[in-house]
Amino acid sequence: MAVWKFFSSVKLAIFLIILLTLASVIGTLIPQGRSAEEYAARYGELAGLFVRLQLTDLYRSAWFLALLFLFAVNLTVCTVSRIGPKLRRAFGPASGTDAGSVAATKLRNRLKLAGAPASAAARISKELSSRRYALKTAGRENGAVLLARKRRLGWFGSDAVHFGLLIILAGGIVSGLAGRRSHLALLEGQTADVPHADFRVRLDRFETEYYPEGGVKAWKSTVSVLEDGRPVLTEVVKVNHPLTYRGFHFYQSRYGWDWQNPKLEILVGKMDDPSSSRSVSLKTGERVPVDGPGITHLGVRRFVPDFVLGEGNRVQSRSGEPRNPAALVEAWQGEERVFAGWIFAKFPDFGDGHGDGRAALSFVLKDFQAAQYSVLEAARDPGANLIWVGCLFVTAGFFLAFYWTPREIRVVLEGGSGVTEATLGGFASKGRDAFRSEFEAVCESLRRVL
Amino acid sequence: MTESALFTMAFVLYILSTFVYFASLFARRVKWAGKGLALAGVGLALHTVALVVRTVTSGHAPFTNMYESLSFFAWATVLAFAALDLKFRLPKIGPSVMLIVVALMALASSPLMPKDVIPLVPALQSYWLWLHVSVTLIGEAFFAVAFVASLLYLTADTEEKREKLDSVSYRAVAVGFPLFTLGGLVFGMIWAYKAWGAYWSWDSKEVWSLITWLVFALYLHTRIVMGWKGRRSAVVAIIGFLAAMFTYFGVNYLLTSLHSYR
Repeated sequence: MAVWKFFSSVKLAIFLIILLTLASVIGTLIPQGRSAEEYAARYGELAGLFVRLQLTDLYRSAWFLALLFLFAVNLTVCTVSRIGPKLRRAFGPASGTDAGSVAATKLRNRLKLAGAPASAAARISKELSSRRYALKTAGRENGAVLLARKRRLGWFGSDAVHFGLLIILAGGIVSGLAGRRSHLALLEGQTADVPHADFRVRLDRFETEYYPEGGVKAWKSTVSVLEDGRPVLTEVVKVNHPLTYRGFHFYQSRYGWDWQNPKLEILVGKMDDPSSSRSVSLKTGERVPVDGPGITHLGVRRFVPDFVLGEGNRVQSRSGEPRNPAALVEAWQGEERVFAGWIFAKFPDFGDGHGDGRAALSFVLKDFQAAQYSVLEAARDPGANLIWVGCLFVTAGFFLAFYWTPREIRVVLEGGSGVTEATLGGFASKGRDAFRSEFEAVCESLRRVL
Repeated sequence: MTESALFTMAFVLYILSTFVYFASLFARRVKWAGKGLALAGVGLALHTVALVVRTVTSGHAPFTNMYESLSFFAWATVLAFAALDLKFRLPKIGPSVMLIVVALMALASSPLMPKDVIPLVPALQSYWLWLHVSVTLIGEAFFAVAFVASLLYLTADTEEKREKLDSVSYRAVAVGFPLFTLGGLVFGMIWAYKAWGAYWSWDSKEVWSLITWLVFALYLHTRIVMGWKGRRSAVVAIIGFLAAMFTYFGVNYLLTSLHSYR
């Protein structure tokens, strides 16, 4: 069949491997899955072409998946069409015609053994069996043919690798179709539904551990699984330590602070009189009464964790990290606003005498507290187990293909009643030196029995 | 003794070994190659102690930044070469392999590579760090030997030399490819699944590992099934090693990746 023949070709495999390689390279040169504006800025007029050719989402594109599909068909057909002859080679019976092939082996020896072919065959069989060869015999005119083989699985190393790759590709399909993945952002104490599951999870506690030197040692989310509202399992989830429950895995993914609603502490006092300083605790949007000095109310209009002036001098937060926390503070004396301006936790002097009020006041952003949230990734991936099985086959297959080289010894026995002439031929595709010494040892011990 | 003192001593021994090897090559004294190997062996022993000291003082695997992994890769390359040399006798390949080792050690000692011990970030706190990185780099060290043998193949002048170099290149790939597959791809996928929740994300380092893998798959198939040998095989092995090196360095510096541990 023409289609079968087409797909059983190794040349096709090589062609497909080259195409897959080139496609993969392109996918790493063009950043994947970015916005249309970014592509336009980066590639100009080419951007449209790239998008149309699906080069911007290459690994999920129809043509890349089609290549993978062709590759899978090619792998299957190649493996299936070669497996029959291989099975015969490894497990098939001996035949009288094997005699001719002995003459073609590189490793050969000719021995004269006492006794009829049948008894010589028994002795040779014993010797070879003790070296873990599996034996098959076939009769022939005035004698017999012995076929001894060992490490026969070695013939199937490449098939195991190919089979493993097919399972991995199948696992990829299962993951793509049935895999479920979602992000759960949780404040301490919050509970969330797990999408596609009938249980809930609650974040009991989130903490960041630091090394004495300052770097982050661990992000720890204490997570409880709730069935019908009752906790059934509580575990600490860390990077590299997911929680597993009923096929779902929960990973520590990200974390952050709820900066919309921080608790702030502000020190307000007279510049020339440190003893007049008062500490005020409040939240953003609040305006609270203060008992002096020189003001009656204090309010915070806005808070940003990482202050930066953006386009048009608009205040923005550069990141969600508290790298440059700043608060927009207002102070009133009765109905008169005496101060309005940004104050900075890291630059306390900046709040001195600025704004449109009286220069005699000083404002310091002493402390800021925001609830931390933890982002857990909830994933269920039924394809993963197939991947591990596939990996097992690939790894075992490599071992068999490279280091479990089959060895084959064929023996042709000819002779009359008193003496048998034995011709031994040995064959191994790799590790020939080791095989040669074994082959010679076999011949030597057969000679000694004489 | 401190790690940096041991590292320096190993470096000096590798340099001496390279000199002796080249002397043996140019003076046509094959016996000197044995001395070159012996020097490299002593260097390897000191280097091993250096890596152990680094592991003990830092409390983590000795390949978490560029300095450490370059040092480990140089160590693995000497190891791979010594193992192949003891089995197949490769006096002619020694000089060039040691030259690569010296280059790797020089790169590791350059001031561009920070040498401070930095505590492990959460993502690297896993025993898979040991398995994934060490097995991958040892596999790539065998690719390095195949690379040298293939380069020498292209410049060799006699058929006898070519045959030997071709077979050395194949044997190095035969060790390196399974190790690279196991360490780079299999262990990598398992660790990614444990740490990120996805065994494969088409991250650029993952893709380049796959590219490297495909190139060596090509090497084997063209060779075993289509009977390519010699020149064409050598070119494929060279491309494969370059792809492996791009996976190792290039991705960190030129592409964006989840794997950017410098």
